[in-house]
Amino acid sequence: MTGPDASVALCARGLGFHYRRRGGRALQDCEFTVPGGRITALVGRNGAGKSTLLHLAGGLLRPGSGQLRVLGAVPGTSEARARVALLTQDKPLYPRFTVADTLLMGEKLNSSWDRTSAERIVREGDIPFHARIGELSPGRRTRVALALALGKRPELLLLDEPLADLDPVARGEIMAGLMAEAAERGINIVLSSHVLPELEEICDWVLVLQDGRIKLSEDVEALRQSHAVLVGAADQAGTLAGQHTVVQSRTSGRQLTSLIRQHGPLRGDWHVERPRLEDVLIGYLQPGEPGHCAPAERTEAVA
Amino acid sequence: MKGSFWLAWRQQRVSAGIGAAALVVAVAFAAYYRSGMLDALHSGLFDHCATGPLYCTRSDTGLPLLLDVEPLKYLGALNIALPVVIGVFWGAPLLGRDRELGTHRMVLAQGVSPGQWFISRFALAAAITTILSGLAAGVFAWWWRPAADRSYGLFWYDNAALSGSGPRVVAAALFGLAAGTLLGLLARRVLAAMALTLLVTGVLTLLLEWTHWARLLVPPRTYVSAGSIPKPPMGEKWSAGDYGLITATGRHDDVLNCPYPSGTQLKECMAAHGYVARFYEANPAGDYWTFQWIDTAVLGGLAALLTVATVLLLRRRV
Repeated sequence: MTGPDASVALCARGLGFHYRRRGGRALQDCEFTVPGGRITALVGRNGAGKSTLLHLAGGLLRPGSGQLRVLGAVPGTSEARARVALLTQDKPLYPRFTVADTLLMGEKLNSSWDRTSAERIVREGDIPFHARIGELSPGRRTRVALALALGKRPELLLLDEPLADLDPVARGEIMAGLMAEAAERGINIVLSSHVLPELEEICDWVLVLQDGRIKLSEDVEALRQSHAVLVGAADQAGTLAGQHTVVQSRTSGRQLTSLIRQHGPLRGDWHVERPRLEDVLIGYLQPGEPGHCAPAERTEAVA
Repeated sequence: MKGSFWLAWRQQRVSAGIGAAALVVAVAFAAYYRSGMLDALHSGLFDHCATGPLYCTRSDTGLPLLLDVEPLKYLGALNIALPVVIGVFWGAPLLGRDRELGTHRMVLAQGVSPGQWFISRFALAAAITTILSGLAAGVFAWWWRPAADRSYGLFWYDNAALSGSGPRVVAAALFGLAAGTLLGLLARRVLAAMALTLLVTGVLTLLLEWTHWARLLVPPRTYVSAGSIPKPPMGEKWSAGDYGLITATGRHDDVLNCPYPSGTQLKECMAAHGYVARFYEANPAGDYWTFQWIDTAVLGGLAALLTVATVLLLRRRV
């Protein structure tokens, strides 16, 4: 607990994994460190390896190569199991158990259990305790699964697409509840999501995965500060090369719009905007090889 | 660990209840028919009957006289089918249900290790299986005892008795459970696991029945008698169906070469062909336990082997 990595939520060194059946590498050479006390957004396109990474962190899979540490512990050990909660994307629960049974199961299976908050999460969703899990709507099931994950009082909560089947109101409520818990207890949260605008409000760290590799692991504010959206004449593109990292650029007619990671002062005549987190993330998620120093040559056809 | 046992019991209590209810029904049937059987025995109707393998007949009408052992045979058949029933309905869903629903991921994301997840549910299922099958075998033995090895009852070598009683019933049930558990882990669907378990346990059950019939694992002994005098009765021995005549060199020949009952005619025929004795092959009654222990070792060994395979695969599959 008091090891050198104790204040680190998630740390990977040369992490690799491949599924035997599917072939191909799901993750390779992942190196990143998520400091403690953060709410981390795990972002990537479908098949980028988000779920694999969360399953590895939750101890459901074992790394093929390299290593991964959660709160300084090896995932899957009893120490890690007691401190890490994982909610997988399919949110499996026993369909024939009642809600009360499911919460009782959480109480029996965990060494520590916070019945009050687990029951509160269920009650806030207006879910009857005697209802069977199989009869609940997907949204309500998600809420029960979340209650089960939070009830074990984890120090690190891993959520794989937690909000996908919730309506917008429930989404807001659950997120607000999660944030309150996180602030109150200092829980580390890593959540994967495709809903980029929501992430900006809640996350202070981002992990971007692309094709099984880590593209970014950075503080959100630092990320926004270091990136800029430039709009200017297309013939100035050369002034960006070499000095700045062009993440994404688009020319339409004679106008160039470019997302760059700024290194030092800008030369040339540019209209500069601070990007939203969403813009930066989309820039990095675009296919191709952003991050190279040459200006991207993708040109949008003028309508 | 206490928590995983709680979950295991919570998930298996219905099956355990059904198993216990079936056993209670079996005990009730056994008690009813056994008392009827005892009444028949005490009525004096069977007092003149020899215990040998030939039919006992009524002294007045000459019709065969038999105890009503049909219900007992049904219990024996149920005991023989036990590995199939337990494998399909208890073993296959044991890990297979969680694998199909993905709920093992939820359980493992709680405070449970894969080892605990497996051991708690398998140990509980194995304990209940042992108790239920042991009691089922015990009920059969209790019911069978008054009618055991009598011409008007049930001989030890009848399928129902040889395979439906004794320690082999427990070993077979555990084998069914272990086979179902492993197939549940391997197949991704419970239904597929159940079908495979039905096939595997069914085939093995029939295979063992065949080894009994063929005397593959317990070879029969050869009993020799001189042809001149009536041979001693076969009694409780289980004939292998192989009998005939022996020459001075020890060659076994077909009985039809001298198809006569003991007497002068037979003696002359034997002398003419150079036969010195008659023989038959059979398993003595004591072989009941040889059959039992060999079956128990085979089934128990397979159960242990499959359990080890399950444990080894657990790391890769879960």
